[in-house]
Amino acid sequence: MKHLKGVTFFSLFVFLLLFLCFVFVSASDAADSENCLMCHKYRFLGRIDEHGKKRNYNVDENIYNETVHRNVPCRDCHTSIQNLPHEPITDEVNCGNQCHIKPPFAKENFSHKAIIDTYNKSVHGAKSTDSDELKAAKPYCKYCHLNPRYTKVEEERVSSSTLERCFNCHEEKGVTQAYKHITHRLRHKTSRSRQEIVELCSKNCHEDVDKMKKFRVSEESLESVETYRRSIHGKAVALGSEMTADCVSCHATSKIHDIYKKDESASTVNKNNLKRTCQQCHLDVTSKFVQIDVHSGITSSEKPFLHFLEIQLGFVLYGTIFGLLGLALIETIGRKKDGIKWQIKGGTTWRGKSKRGFEDE
Amino acid sequence: MTTSSETVVKSANDSPAEGGNTHYVKGVGHIPRDIYKYVKSNPLGDMPRYSIHIVIQHLVVFLTFLVLAATGLPLHFGDLFWAPLILSPFGGPDSARVIHWTAAFIMVTASVYHLGTIILGTLYKVQNKKFHLLHTQIPTLKDLQDIKHDIRYFLGKERYRPEMGKFMYKQKLHYLAIIWGTCVLVVAGSTLLFPETMSNFWPNPRFAQDLARLMHADEAIMAAAVIVFWHWSNVHLVPGRFPFQWTVLTGKITREHQIEEHFLEYVDNLKEMPAEREYLRSVMKEKGYMTEGGER
Repeated sequence: MKHLKGVTFFSLFVFLLLFLCFVFVSASDAADSENCLMCHKYRFLGRIDEHGKKRNYNVDENIYNETVHRNVPCRDCHTSIQNLPHEPITDEVNCGNQCHIKPPFAKENFSHKAIIDTYNKSVHGAKSTDSDELKAAKPYCKYCHLNPRYTKVEEERVSSSTLERCFNCHEEKGVTQAYKHITHRLRHKTSRSRQEIVELCSKNCHEDVDKMKKFRVSEESLESVETYRRSIHGKAVALGSEMTADCVSCHATSKIHDIYKKDESASTVNKNNLKRTCQQCHLDVTSKFVQIDVHSGITSSEKPFLHFLEIQLGFVLYGTIFGLLGLALIETIGRKKDGIKWQIKGGTTWRGKSKRGFEDE
Repeated sequence: MTTSSETVVKSANDSPAEGGNTHYVKGVGHIPRDIYKYVKSNPLGDMPRYSIHIVIQHLVVFLTFLVLAATGLPLHFGDLFWAPLILSPFGGPDSARVIHWTAAFIMVTASVYHLGTIILGTLYKVQNKKFHLLHTQIPTLKDLQDIKHDIRYFLGKERYRPEMGKFMYKQKLHYLAIIWGTCVLVVAGSTLLFPETMSNFWPNPRFAQDLARLMHADEAIMAAAVIVFWHWSNVHLVPGRFPFQWTVLTGKITREHQIEEHFLEYVDNLKEMPAEREYLRSVMKEKGYMTEGGER
């Protein structure tokens, strides 16, 4: 009977261990001080709304802890929640809210307000003069900044020698995070790859000609995606290039969100600003260089001569190939009639009797 | 068997340009035009044709052409499924572009080398009184007549193929195409590669750049198509050249090919090669043709 006692104690010990594990595994992060995850951790928390759409209210803690907003408490963004259990949420999150995070050396709480101001002034910001349809069509923060995860950017490791110098004063964890947070912003104009940027701008919007037509954009803009894809920039990016211009490279400054129509003076592609824009990649940019058509579409109305030439070159190409092939064919048939064969005999092409009807052949 | 056509023998050293009798060679006799049907040939080549310079140039241009086509065409046809596959061994579009420029530079170097070769070679020939217009790649009226004559032969209306020099009409056509193509590709390619510099050079940079984009792509596709569909089939696949013509590597052409398509060059070679004259006499004797000295 003694051993049973031991087994019981051992089982109890194991059970306690497991219990502690479960308790501590879901130990709440600082970001969830109000324990929203108590309910929202359940995977099937959701409903089917009045339009028959499935809505999922589950927040996966493991994923959330990997995102850029991992340190922001839920209610910093979801401000409409005032009591628990909360009312159904009807309004969108406003990215211009201040959250309770103070960046180092700042007096104010952090907010995306500066970017939103820039964005609202740009061509994509909703204007009071816009029709409802246009307002609905314009992208908002979450359209480009991918929902639902806002995942961290894959970042190269900081060189260890650099980091070691930081550790002279700072703790390792904080400084590594901070360093990673700023390095990709120092290295690249955008965190996203060029392919993703092109995809974001073209898919669902700029390549949808019917949709763009409704908003009375210029003829040039209607074709912009197609002409970009035909340009060297577009072709290289489509094949996976990492050093060629995407949409944002030329159409925005380092503020990223200040995209304007080209006749506005603030636009990077306004003819007065073109030099500076091209200079980001091209050396020795002159006023003659900026005359080059970046989104070049060859249409009969705009470039009649080139259009005509393009058609003629097609004729020349096929004419040449079929003409030459015809010549080679006539030649082969004629020589075969004169007795030559596709055979080798003693190192020499085998020749049989000519069938051409000249005497003595 | 009959003898070859009765022609008046003027002088043994008459050259074709002076309306001489090309069929007659001193020490052999009247050469029948279709003797190529009866001669023995070494597939690696019997008769000298290209100097070592031409062989090297062809090899360099051949290799760079393949690299240029493999790195350039996928960029133009970037939206097609095979483009990324072909680019991947070159390390994707960014490094493929650099490889493309490097290959282009080597090809231009080979072109300059070729220019130097033919200029110096021509000067040498002029100095030694060996230069002859009909031995060059320069198209003449005779080539038009040759085309007509040859097509008539293919259709069975002529008995023999025309007597052509070192370069026949097909090769002259191709050579002209290469000169035109190289010039267009180099000028348009430089416009694309150095847009900043070239925009200061062209009077209308916007138009020049558009034209260069159009011409570089079109000329490249044309070049690739002509090489694949015409040049390779003509050189290696047609009967008599099949399965492979070694001239490109050995610089020598087979006897039967030279007599058939470059008769005048063969006659020129005969005059300088006693062993070849000896051989041809024996073949003619065997076939019962009249040879020098009236033997049959």
